[in-house]
Amino acid sequence: MPYAAGAEGQPDVSGRIRVRRHRTHQDGDRRAGYLMLLPSAVVVAGVTVFPILYSVWMSFHDVHLTVNGYDMRFTGLANYGTLVHSSAFWHSAWFTTYYAVVTVFAELILGMLIALAIYRVQRLKNLSLVVMLIPWSLITVVSAQMWSYIYNGVYGVLNAILQALHLIQAPVTWPGTSTGAVLSMMVADIWKTTPFVVIILLGGLQMIPAEYHEAAVMDGAGPWTVFWKVTFPLLRSSIALAAVFRILQAFGVFDLPFVLTGGGPGNATTSLAVLGEQALFQNLHFGVGAAVAVSTVLMVLTLSLIFLSAFRALVEEGA
Amino acid sequence: MVESRWRTGLGYAVLVLFLVLILLPFYWMVVTSFKPTGEVAAYPPTAWPVHWTLEHYRNAFLRYGFGVYLRNSVIVTCLTTLFVVMLSSMAGFAIARLPVRGKTPVLIFLLIISMFPAIAIVTPLYMFMRALGWLNSYQALIVPYTAFNLPFAIWIMRNYFLQVPGVLLEAAKMDGASVWQTFLRIFLPLTTPGIFTTAVFTFVAAWTEFFMALVFNASKTMRTIPVGIGLFSDQYNVPYGDIFAGSVLSILPIVVLVAAFRKWIVSGLTAGAVKG
Repeated sequence: MPYAAGAEGQPDVSGRIRVRRHRTHQDGDRRAGYLMLLPSAVVVAGVTVFPILYSVWMSFHDVHLTVNGYDMRFTGLANYGTLVHSSAFWHSAWFTTYYAVVTVFAELILGMLIALAIYRVQRLKNLSLVVMLIPWSLITVVSAQMWSYIYNGVYGVLNAILQALHLIQAPVTWPGTSTGAVLSMMVADIWKTTPFVVIILLGGLQMIPAEYHEAAVMDGAGPWTVFWKVTFPLLRSSIALAAVFRILQAFGVFDLPFVLTGGGPGNATTSLAVLGEQALFQNLHFGVGAAVAVSTVLMVLTLSLIFLSAFRALVEEGA
Repeated sequence: MVESRWRTGLGYAVLVLFLVLILLPFYWMVVTSFKPTGEVAAYPPTAWPVHWTLEHYRNAFLRYGFGVYLRNSVIVTCLTTLFVVMLSSMAGFAIARLPVRGKTPVLIFLLIISMFPAIAIVTPLYMFMRALGWLNSYQALIVPYTAFNLPFAIWIMRNYFLQVPGVLLEAAKMDGASVWQTFLRIFLPLTTPGIFTTAVFTFVAAWTEFFMALVFNASKTMRTIPVGIGLFSDQYNVPYGDIFAGSVLSILPIVVLVAAFRKWIVSGLTAGAVKG
């Protein structure tokens, strides 16, 4: 035992004098710190990090369920080959990207407009915040059922309103056509998540010191210039946060098409998550499902990075 | 100043239009849940129920077993919230105030992972749970919900702990308190708003989650409310009245929670932007 500790204040075997107070102080704090982190680390690593890595591993295998487990056979890139040659996969990838980009842009623009309006008006702020928390906290399945009733082709209220305004002649089954289904989904999504964007942007707006605006106005800047030269650059972290949050969420869209359109008509609104779920739990192609999952993650990361770098360029140009 | 007043007027117009557009669909769902079945399918629809009825609320419980879904949702959501609050306050304190290594970059990495679409992890989780015999059990949802909500919760708690002066830790230690005592008796009470924020966020996330609940707990006795409502319809008809009765009931706890904790939800939503 060459490193056996000697008594306090005595040289131990290695000849060093133990400085007890200093060691227990820092080490004790550190030990307590790791102990406090341990349960969270175990849960998060075990249930998110490990399964993601395992998804990657599975995507190179042919996976079959057995009576009380599963077995895997290595197949290299075969699952990805299946995806590359599947028009359904390319369609889903395209639809999901398109859906995410359009809804996130619409939500950012609308959200900015509304956040500015709330900031300007000030009076209705508390009421607005409570009202906006309704869509945010609503179960997506509930909002999907709500919209499917509104869009209904036989007794939907949307048709009644449009007919009363003489915008349409006869009732239309909105989710019945491909374009209609995509648009219906987008409107439902924008309704539900714009408030979230508003809250984040409003939080950012409130942290901009009022003097900045006043100074710009004193210098004779018009509202448009003030927005692009002062407000927008100072809001960049809030905008980026809202956008990345939303891109990640929109890319995983599942509940809305599952209830509202069933991924149809045909596969018009089959998002990557819906496709993955079908591969997994309807066709039991676990390897292919894992490949869909891995592709989804890669795509969403790419899209977020593209957005962030484009956004940084935009902000630098504006400022 | 004429221009300024004009712009405030425009602000009002945008805001009121927006509030109306948010409330209208919601209003429509609530009144529909009180209309008799014939009126639910009337065209043109009635803006206000001609006859009021509670038949859909009765159906939700008696025909669709909404009470079971409600019980499952309450158990899963409350336990998830409890675990997340306990674990995240410990971890947030350690990251903010104790000398542990490599903390913030790791946390940000986990934060990003936790925002990945659920599809990224359900396949292996499903197979693990099947092997463990966990499918259709409460832990099948509580464990993943806890894991997915922890990074954001830790982030919020860390930001709140950073606002408590670090000297308190040194002062408490001078008085002979251990790290754990300092954490429980001094720091935790000072971060009550952070705990509320964390709890509300976790509650809403767990209450509304659908994908994992559908995949892991699809049996009739283990469904949570979102799965129950998602699968109310059968092949032949969509019982909108009954669906909306269940929907309105599912909103009530959230409405109470949101109304009571509005301030903390808003500060929590902006916390990432503040410190990020």
